Amino acid sequence: MAITRRELFVSIGKAGIPAAVALTVGAETLQAETIPIPSAAVGLLYDASICIGCKACVAACAEANDTPPDTRGDQLHQAPSDLNDLTRNVIKLYKPEDGSAFSYVKRQCMHCLDPACAAGCPFQALHKDPESGIVKWDSDKCIGCRYCTITCPYHVPRFQWMGFNPRVTKCELCSPRLEKGLQPGCTSVCPTGAVIFGPRTVLLSEAHSRIKKEPGRYYQGRVYGEKDNGGTQSLYLSRVAFEKLGLPELGPESVPARTLRWQRRLYQYFALPAVLYVSLVQVIRKSLKGHEQEAHEHEKETGLRAQL
Amino acid sequence: MSTATLDTQTGSRLLANAAASKPRWERAVPVYGFPVVNRFFVALLAMTGLAFVLTGYRELAGLGPVSGMNDAYGWGIWKTFNVMVLTGLGSGAFAVGIAPWVFRRKRLHALMRMALLTSFLAYACGLLLLGIDAGRPWNFYWIVFPWKWNMHSPLAEVAICMSIYATIPLAIENIPPVLERLWYFDSRLRPGVEKFERRLHYFFPWIIAAAYLLPGMHQSSLGALMLLAGERVHPLWQSPWLPLLYLGAASFMSFGCVAGATMLCCVMWKRAMDMEILDEAARITAWLIFGWLGLRLLDIVFRGALGTAFHADRFAGVFWLETFLIAGGGWMLWRSLRTHKTQTMFLGYVLSSLGGMIYRFSPTTLAFRPNPESLYFPTTIEILVSFGFICMGVAGFLLVVKRFGILPAPLQEWHNMAAYFRFRRPYIRWTGYFEHGFFSDDELEREQQLELTDSD
Ligand code: SF4
Ligand code: SF4
Ligand code: SF4
Repeated sequence: MAITRRELFVSIGKAGIPAAVALTVGAETLQAETIPIPSAAVGLLYDASICIGCKACVAACAEANDTPPDTRGDQLHQAPSDLNDLTRNVIKLYKPEDGSAFSYVKRQCMHCLDPACAAGCPFQALHKDPESGIVKWDSDKCIGCRYCTITCPYHVPRFQWMGFNPRVTKCELCSPRLEKGLQPGCTSVCPTGAVIFGPRTVLLSEAHSRIKKEPGRYYQGRVYGEKDNGGTQSLYLSRVAFEKLGLPELGPESVPARTLRWQRRLYQYFALPAVLYVSLVQVIRKSLKGHEQEAHEHEKETGLRAQL
Repeated sequence: MSTATLDTQTGSRLLANAAASKPRWERAVPVYGFPVVNRFFVALLAMTGLAFVLTGYRELAGLGPVSGMNDAYGWGIWKTFNVMVLTGLGSGAFAVGIAPWVFRRKRLHALMRMALLTSFLAYACGLLLLGIDAGRPWNFYWIVFPWKWNMHSPLAEVAICMSIYATIPLAIENIPPVLERLWYFDSRLRPGVEKFERRLHYFFPWIIAAAYLLPGMHQSSLGALMLLAGERVHPLWQSPWLPLLYLGAASFMSFGCVAGATMLCCVMWKRAMDMEILDEAARITAWLIFGWLGLRLLDIVFRGALGTAFHADRFAGVFWLETFLIAGGGWMLWRSLRTHKTQTMFLGYVLSSLGGMIYRFSPTTLAFRPNPESLYFPTTIEILVSFGFICMGVAGFLLVVKRFGILPAPLQEWHNMAAYFRFRRPYIRWTGYFEHGFFSDDELEREQQLELTDSD
């Protein structure tokens, strides 16, 4: 029997008709890959040029989240060197060797409009609240795969490496406090107003008015997070390059939209796998018939029971 | 009397044929006459036991104390080697299976049982380690609620698809050797076995088709895992074609694993090799390798990443190492088709599979550039657990090939085996077998003598 390309194509074609219909119906969703902005999106605006690096926000964050202060550095001060399993919010210092302008930077979850962490999380433990847009972690659904620590372009979620019941730690914008009508921990204590909380639209216009007031003060005269990575709900203003502060240039398209485009289309409604499956069954059925026949001939010839 | 002698004649004619012409693999025969438990096997079991003890410690202490994983490298060798690399090596049931069932390369049916067994063991061990590597494995129960799946997550695809594949289609495909053993074991079981077999064959096309669709999906999704990591994977590896390249690598690696392992077994247990089948497998593997290399190089050139291959850094080193291993292996396979040297062929399989393994290991580990820069090296415990689970797979393989008809052999081997067990294991029901005149050489004489005395 010759190789059965023709047969394969024919059976794919046969099965392809209903699938084509399914795909056309699905085309609407295919096009609708643009990211919806949650109706009541809230976020943070951090202006690195005002921050004095007092770290009051770091202490307040730990307190608001009921985590013990991370004193693992020198057994005395709460001085985490980076985000970790006890630290949802950290202040870091960028100080170049050549003595040019230095800057503090506050790092916490960006609450991306199209979060890569949630795109990869297998059972939706990390998910974006459809109203507030806060990206939350659900301990009942997390399997501890640590995929989020790899997918997040800002390297935010951190895994707890000790103990039999590890958790994933990341800023959840103090959701329980918001429900009580309070501000998030960090913004409620900041003495200079370097970090403020509010609806994303309000924060954006505030940022733009600051840029307008002092043109040339801010790097590239733009707000990081307005467009970057498909837009984020934590927004940044800075004097030094964003890249130096650990905010990579990711382009206007979100990471999941950019990298998973084809993955998402191939699995759209499972149409393509279904077509393949049905045509495979057709081809294999024919192969099996031929193979069985041969096996039985062989059985007669040798007198030994056929092995399929 | 007449039928008996006729069959005896057929039998001896077959014997003569087998001896005279080139050996042909016609039947899967258990490796008989070798004890299952020997020193090597006990050592494998000891390593497996140690791995289980260490696993218990890991479950209590958490991942930090036992592994070298850290905030920068969230994944260690349990995932990146035992799952991403070894299941690729164990995709034989997919790649070697699809050749005869879909592309009708019928000769390769002879390798099918080897492919199915190696795949099943690789997947079983990989899945177990996936569960051990997960920090909160109890939440895996969401797998039974499809509406909670994140359908677009490559990791969900891998975890769900892999477990379904290994526990349903792949496991069912492995049933026939078990049924066969039951059939021979006791003639009272035969009607039941035959009935079950008929039912199984009725559903076989659906099962086999699923057994190709699912691995096709998750072996490519394993590549898609690192897409989301973006720039952190070195440009020589990060590519929109990662899923296809992962699938391709799994295909030629698993051919190497199945054919190479079969050759090794033949040497170890002194079995004849069917060069026709091995040549066909080598030819397919060589073509797969050349096609894959072509795609990989084209992809690198068109993305404009070729320049980075000539920087003097570890990435370029890894890249050239894997490329030369794969290309060299492919070339050796191609040569072996001319020279018919089994050594060249075997080495070709080993080198190309090794290269493929490095390729699949790179994006997550060797070519991963976390920010901030940091290093990962597996700890001793991590390596012992990883190795212990490999030992478990090897032990399982040794046990099964010695108890079930897995390894292909010339027909003669089957008759020899039956003769071997005729007195050693009298409870095996070779019903009708010896009456119909299948004897090994020395038995033939004895039977003739018996007949003579009977007629007296
Ligand atoms: S910054 Fe990272 S953790 Fe936060 S929403 Fe975006 S991808 Fe998720
Ligand atoms: S570790 Fe938990 S939260 Fe992170 S991706 Fe895995 S399941 Fe989701
Ligand atoms: S509290 Fe305000 S000023 Fe102090 S470190 Fe935090 S953001 Fe900066």
